[in-house]
Amino acid sequence: MSSRTRTLTSWGVANLIVVLYALFPVWWIVALSFKDPSTLGDGDFIPREWTWENYRGIFQTSEFTRALVNSIGISAIATTIAVVLGTMAAYAVARLRFPGKRPLIGVSLLIAMFPPISLVSPLFNIERLLGLFDTWTGLIIPYTTFSLPLAIYTLSAFFREIAWDLEKAARVDGATPWQAFRLVIAPLAAPGVFTTGILVFIFCWNDFLFAISLTSTTSARTVPAAIAFFTGSSQFQQPTGSIAAAAVVITIPIVIFVLLFQRRIVAGLTAGAVKG
Amino acid sequence: MTPATSLGDPAGKKTAKLFEGARQERRLGLLLCAPAAIVMLAVTAYPIAYAIHLSLQRYDLRFPQQAHWVGLSNYVAVLSSPFWWQALWVTVLITLVSVAIELVLGMALALVMHRAVFGRGTVRTAVLIPYGIVTVVAAYSWQYAWTPGVGYLAALLPQGSAPLTDQWQAIGLIILAEVWKTTPFMALLLLAGLALVPEETVRAAMVDGATFWQRLRLVVLPLMKPAILVALLFRTLDAFRVFDDIYVLTGGSNGTGSVSILGYDNLFTALNLGIGSAISVLTFLCVAVIAFVFIKVFGAAAPGGEPERR
Amino acid sequence: MPGIRGSRSRRLTAAAGLFVLASGLAGCGSSGPGGPATLNWYNFPDDSGALQQAADRCSRQSGGRYTIKYDKLPRGADGQRQQLVRRMAAHDAGVDILGLDVTWPTEFAEAGWIREWTGTMKKQATSDTLEAAVRTATWQGHLFAAPYNSNTQLLWYRDDLVTNAPGTWTEMLGQADALAKQGKPHHVEIQGAQYEGLTVWFNTLVTSAGGSILTPDAQAPSLGPPAVLAARVMHDTATSVAADPSLPNQMEDQNRLAMESGTAAFELNYPFVYPSMRANQPELFKHLRWAPYPSVVPGRPATVTIGGIDLAVGAYGRHPDLAFEATLCLRDRENQLTNALKGGLPPSLRSLYQAAELTESYPFAADVLAALDNASVRPQTPAYQNVSIAITHTLSPPADIRPESTVADLRGQIEDALGSKGLIP
Repeated sequence: MSSRTRTLTSWGVANLIVVLYALFPVWWIVALSFKDPSTLGDGDFIPREWTWENYRGIFQTSEFTRALVNSIGISAIATTIAVVLGTMAAYAVARLRFPGKRPLIGVSLLIAMFPPISLVSPLFNIERLLGLFDTWTGLIIPYTTFSLPLAIYTLSAFFREIAWDLEKAARVDGATPWQAFRLVIAPLAAPGVFTTGILVFIFCWNDFLFAISLTSTTSARTVPAAIAFFTGSSQFQQPTGSIAAAAVVITIPIVIFVLLFQRRIVAGLTAGAVKG
Repeated sequence: MTPATSLGDPAGKKTAKLFEGARQERRLGLLLCAPAAIVMLAVTAYPIAYAIHLSLQRYDLRFPQQAHWVGLSNYVAVLSSPFWWQALWVTVLITLVSVAIELVLGMALALVMHRAVFGRGTVRTAVLIPYGIVTVVAAYSWQYAWTPGVGYLAALLPQGSAPLTDQWQAIGLIILAEVWKTTPFMALLLLAGLALVPEETVRAAMVDGATFWQRLRLVVLPLMKPAILVALLFRTLDAFRVFDDIYVLTGGSNGTGSVSILGYDNLFTALNLGIGSAISVLTFLCVAVIAFVFIKVFGAAAPGGEPERR
Repeated sequence: MPGIRGSRSRRLTAAAGLFVLASGLAGCGSSGPGGPATLNWYNFPDDSGALQQAADRCSRQSGGRYTIKYDKLPRGADGQRQQLVRRMAAHDAGVDILGLDVTWPTEFAEAGWIREWTGTMKKQATSDTLEAAVRTATWQGHLFAAPYNSNTQLLWYRDDLVTNAPGTWTEMLGQADALAKQGKPHHVEIQGAQYEGLTVWFNTLVTSAGGSILTPDAQAPSLGPPAVLAARVMHDTATSVAADPSLPNQMEDQNRLAMESGTAAFELNYPFVYPSMRANQPELFKHLRWAPYPSVVPGRPATVTIGGIDLAVGAYGRHPDLAFEATLCLRDRENQLTNALKGGLPPSLRSLYQAAELTESYPFAADVLAALDNASVRPQTPAYQNVSIAITHTLSPPADIRPESTVADLRGQIEDALGSKGLIP
């Protein structure tokens, strides 16, 4: 009994430490966002004076709201496409035999490895020619492309671990292929798919280089790039308060997204282990 | 369609079916891979080829008429420059240390998330938040925290020290920022790998009297090997190209620049497309070597390399 | 598996539809035939409303011939330059008017990205304009931009700590030393990070010592004894008690914060610190005073580096004549006054410095004008970025400077930079 409580307490303490370690610096950003400009430089961890001024400031014009809409839309679409294409390819790679498998993996690794700074200018030129510069599509396409390698790799690693006999057993038991997929394979694949979804979404959400290089107005500019346009009271002053406020605001969708999808991983975990 | 078989030969019919099945499988495989392959190639083929092409020219963007072919002399210039080697060893140092820390921490986090006692969702979400914050913003908050007089962390240090201005201390802080930011990435991949370890095997080991550490070392970790290697591979590839944190924290000054910062400076600031592209290609080659080592030496699963289980 | 294909293909169709829609929305450039031409003005971001007001005012005054669309560039100068370079290198017709930092016109002109100003336009762009500002927009005798706003540094100090403003750097460091011995705030705030601000500091010191970084034809480094003297001043400042511990990591904003936090007695910075302290630290503000930048050689006034923005006309825009006209309007007296009052940007027109409205908000206007009339310009060469990086790299951190050998090292680095040879650090 006591050893069990000991185990529980030690896990509980570990949980607490983990949460603190993760959130300590986050609190600093939150604190900065509530600080008055005059107290910004005082180094206090908890603001002496609280103000909503920074939040009011970033929503004063429609620029930041537009950037939020752009970010959410572009990231969601790019994630969906990348996960769909990645799942298809990963399934093929993990399950089927066909020529060109090695080259495909090689090429996708190559893309994941090439420094993006060299690719930005040629991409800019192409997009200008095609009229995609400063559009949603102009960002969705690169985001999808550069997250596909990770998606394919992660998903195929997952798919390889799934025991496909289960599907066959289900079919033998009389299920249709669709039922077999939906009731047996999909739950097993779910952790991989949702893990990949989270990672790809965060990649698109956080990207700065492509966002700043392939947009020029608010029609497609995403939040990380928009932050580079925030101004302080003069050209020399860093708008720390506004940046912190913007950071808090844009982290909220991530928190929601993660909260929603991590439950799917849990569901996958409890349902998933091969029960022989 | 099906190849001719001798009349009523059941073995022949079976071979025919197998053959046909294999062809269908190939077709399905190619069909499923095609969209992803097309997207990747269409978008990156020209830029990568163009970058390599540029690296073989002397091309300063401000004097576009003077661009001319110089073969490998850009590469010679880069490899004989002390700036490159300095940036390289800083990059290697940051990569090795941060990935090592992240692996251990990530494993610990994965275990905690796996066995969260209270508020499972909360713990998991809290752990992932650092990864979800925009990198440059997180870097700014660290920079502020470490600036003497302004930040809460700097206040903990002895008076008069400015850690961001000293090479070693700054590198340490960069590693700290990197680790804090991307350990969740490792933890997430490791957690997913952990999920695939069968409970029965672990419980069987427990019944056999194995302690927690023994179970971890002898049962869980070996079964997680593929997931660990995927996580390590991608994390190392990314760590080698570290940019955002260094750019914001020190701007690469005082000898803290990585190869990516070097490439960025030469490409965007000096507008020397030839040298900048050469640096990018060399960075890519280094990264390719790392990937090669992982796949061939450590046996990171190159998916599709092993016979599928049926 | 038909079921999956169905849902997947539905998603793909939706994505494809979005693709088409988005492409259709792309590429809205200049207006169609018959309507007023749209001139795209790319400039640093300004939230005070001054620039938008100028654009609107000039659009109205055009009598329907053109409308000026104010597009923002990123806040940081490097980001602005990247965006402009990328687009001009691609011969983008969508950039009509460019807001260039004063160190860029040379580079852009040499690359053929901006148009030359000639004839009456040139006369109008340079009349009543500060001479140093005009110099920043001139390359090889030709004018390539119209000065927009200006900027320069003053010495700010606290009169509760300092009774007489120091005239030279040696005096200032001495006063700081005395304050330190009394246990009072004593730091001298100056930009010492490895960035453009360090080049500004070095340029100010070298020219104040009577020398220059490059020869007049900008083909080779000049340096010499004035540079050694400048390097010595930087070294002495960084190693004295007057140095803020964060000096090697400080930019203008960090200097401002340190001054406002009360740990500093002196500050060498731009005028933006004045309204900031008034708003943030009213108590300290009562003691804030200003003086001319301390000189390096006694009796020889300092020649502070000039900053600011020049407006240039893009080489690939479709309406160059309208763009020239619009630029002249954007920088006219009324708009520069609005910029100064609303946006805090010192004007480039001399006569404005006597305007009553300006001197009311900026009691230090006369000192700023005096500094600008005697200002120095940073080295004018298309390879300026390389030269600047060579300077900042060699002079960082300031505490490690050994005057003679560092300057000798710098000479070699600048020679390489001018030939755009090899890598930059």
